[in-house]
Amino acid sequence: MAIQTNGIVLKNIKIKSIYFLLEIDCPSIANETKPGQFVMLRTSDDNHPLLRRPFSIYKSHSNLDPRKGKRGHLFILYKKVGKGTQKMSTFKEGQKINLIGPLGNGFILPPLPSSTATILIGGGVGMASLSALGETLGFGELYVFIGGKTKDDILCEDNFPKGKVFIATEDGSRGKKGTVVDFFLSEIKRFDRDRPHHVYICGPEGMVKSLAKVIKSKKWIVQVSLEARMGCGFGACWGCVVKTRNNEMAYRRVCKDGPVFPLSEIVLER
Amino acid sequence: MKIAPPLDLSVCIGKLELKNPVIAASGTFGYGQEFENFIDLSQLGAIIPKGISLSPMQGNSPPRIFETNGGILNSIGLQNPGFQAFAKEKLPYLKKIKTNLIINFFGKTQKEYVELARRLDSLDGIAGLEMNISCPNVKQGGIVFGSDPRMTYLLVSSVRKSSELPFIVKLSPNVTDISAIARSAEEGGADAVSLVNTFRAIAINIYSKKPELGNIIGGLSGPAIKPIALRMVWEVSQAVKIPVIGIGGIMKAEDAIEFILAGASAIQIGTGNLINPNTGIEVINGIKQYLLQNGMGRIRELIGLFKV
Repeated sequence: MAIQTNGIVLKNIKIKSIYFLLEIDCPSIANETKPGQFVMLRTSDDNHPLLRRPFSIYKSHSNLDPRKGKRGHLFILYKKVGKGTQKMSTFKEGQKINLIGPLGNGFILPPLPSSTATILIGGGVGMASLSALGETLGFGELYVFIGGKTKDDILCEDNFPKGKVFIATEDGSRGKKGTVVDFFLSEIKRFDRDRPHHVYICGPEGMVKSLAKVIKSKKWIVQVSLEARMGCGFGACWGCVVKTRNNEMAYRRVCKDGPVFPLSEIVLER
Repeated sequence: MKIAPPLDLSVCIGKLELKNPVIAASGTFGYGQEFENFIDLSQLGAIIPKGISLSPMQGNSPPRIFETNGGILNSIGLQNPGFQAFAKEKLPYLKKIKTNLIINFFGKTQKEYVELARRLDSLDGIAGLEMNISCPNVKQGGIVFGSDPRMTYLLVSSVRKSSELPFIVKLSPNVTDISAIARSAEEGGADAVSLVNTFRAIAINIYSKKPELGNIIGGLSGPAIKPIALRMVWEVSQAVKIPVIGIGGIMKAEDAIEFILAGASAIQIGTGNLINPNTGIEVINGIKQYLLQNGMGRIRELIGLFKV
């Protein structure tokens, strides 16, 4: 159940170039989350910026120290790109911040035990929610495709000890040169089209669109976590919709009906 | 020791009495249920769920929302499941909330407005109607009725005949003389007017050179519009005798008090709900404090006290 609450900043550190890791003490949200869910974070007490910002939950640690009572830490991986994340990058240890969460549906996990492969494909901060998902996967083969423009955009590559990790950068500064979609396409023969492999996608819209064209198998169970500009984050304003193949209500809310949708259900426009 | 009498926050909108003047504005409050985890819904003076039409509407193409300096530009496009689905799926929950339920509605034609008002009138659990003649995002969202005083009069008077419910008309600020439209609504038999809806506005992405909204034009709301909304509420409250409900960028109690001083009998919170679901409750508490600090017992004493 989503709630509105205050958290305390424990750490806010730059991990590389414009990517930051924020750790917040917020047990009431941290103890309730599942992979693929997000929080709406207020970056400012005044009205600049006005709206909250949505962030995938990267990690959540519950009850870290039972002796100190109920505790739970929430981790957010963010990229400093605009007014909101600029403000966030100045958050100091001990600062109180207002959060709403956990929000959204989250990923549907593959069944256990699984005889099929689990494939994660992500780019940039999209890796945050895939990393959260990766942590919960126990058995079976795991393949992780990580992409970015340069080596600075490659995140979470060490978070999958049980998985085979493939890295691609557009400038070739790390891993294979090219897009993560091209890399995935060059390896796609590894995965039998007729078996129900589980594929999870999270990243920029362009990447999701390209993958939608590449993935032809009707047997694969493909889930994509979408990004969208959001008004509220909890389903009230209908500002963050995506077009779907649902006849009754074509536009569905990314925040409430998603952010995770079956790839086959969404219509990617523009 | 002197014991202060209990504060009276109640206000009247025609024959409808609200326990306090704070109303959740249509389009920013979903169907109420979206807020149940965050607040005690029954504490609000009234709730106005997302506007409904006779038939379902799918809304505008995304992107539908864009943040500006102190404001939000939106072009949702009145997406809603239509009267039947609303009555079946949304109303049962809304009816159970112990506060006034006001239904916002709109039509493409006068006939549709009248028909919808008639059907709403036949339902249980509805305390009042708010007629939208001001949506900036949809050609058929009623704006044609809200920008011409004569059209406003004709529509309001015909809808008035089809429902006994307390009847509020929601006005557009995108007109030359909002007082003239308000007077037409009053003459047509409206019990109150609510203002303002959003201001028509655009934003351009300078890199793609394209609009930031799928619909190109959207409606601007939030703190950025508050001073203009306040001026309009002040002018309209002098132009009509019926109660005025103030809307426009209210984020905190001080904002609400300004609107009440300007002549508003009640206020609506819109954009504020999206950012802080608790805005309405905080505004109610802030108004109470203000009254106590100023030695006032009743909110009604405050309405229109603006000194010029």
